[in-house]
Amino acid sequence: MAATIPQMDAAKMQLVQDLEIEMMSDMYNRMTAACHKKCIPPKYKDAELVKGESVCLDRCVAKYLDIHERVGRKLTQMSLQDDEAVKKLQGEMPRM
Amino acid sequence: MTSEAIDAAKIEAEQIKSFRDFLFSYNKLSELCFVDCVWDFTSRTIKDQENSCAVNCAEKFLKANQRISQCFQEFQVLSNENALAMAKK
Repeated sequence: MAATIPQMDAAKMQLVQDLEIEMMSDMYNRMTAACHKKCIPPKYKDAELVKGESVCLDRCVAKYLDIHERVGRKLTQMSLQDDEAVKKLQGEMPRM
Repeated sequence: MTSEAIDAAKIEAEQIKSFRDFLFSYNKLSELCFVDCVWDFTSRTIKDQENSCAVNCAEKFLKANQRISQCFQEFQVLSNENALAMAKK
C-alpha cells in the first residue's frame, strides 16, 4: 500500500500505518463474525469445538482471506479503468 | 500557518478521510461477497464458481452504489429546488 502513495514523509507514513492497522482489525472482526455464522450452528449443547467445526473454521479463514484478496484486485482493476475513462473524457473535452 | 498551508492541510485531511471510507467499504464488500458466495467448506481453496461469484459481486456492488448515489443526487437537486420555491413564497 505504501508503495502506491508518492512523497511519503514520516507523518504520512505513520498515518498510513495506523490506517492499515485499523483496517486489518476491522477485517479480522468481520471475518470472525462471518466464519462463526458459517461454521458454528447456534445449538450450544456442548462447549467444546467439534472436529467438524474446527476444520470448517480453518477452511473458512483461508477462504475469507482469499476472497478478500480477489475482491481487492478487482477493485483496483475497476478503479484503474475508471481513471482511464476519466482521463479519456478530459482529453476529449475542450480545455476551458 | 499561512492560508495556503491551511488549505493544503484541509485537502490532505479530506483525502485521508475519503481513503479511510474507501478502505472500510472494501472490508464491507469482502464480507458481503464472502457471506453470499462461499458455502462449501469441504476444501481450503476457492472454487471457480465461488471466484466468479465474488468478482461479479464486487462489480455489481460498485455499480449499485453508483446508481444509488446518482438517484440520491437527483433527489437532492429536486429537494433543493422545492426548498427554494418554498422560501420564495
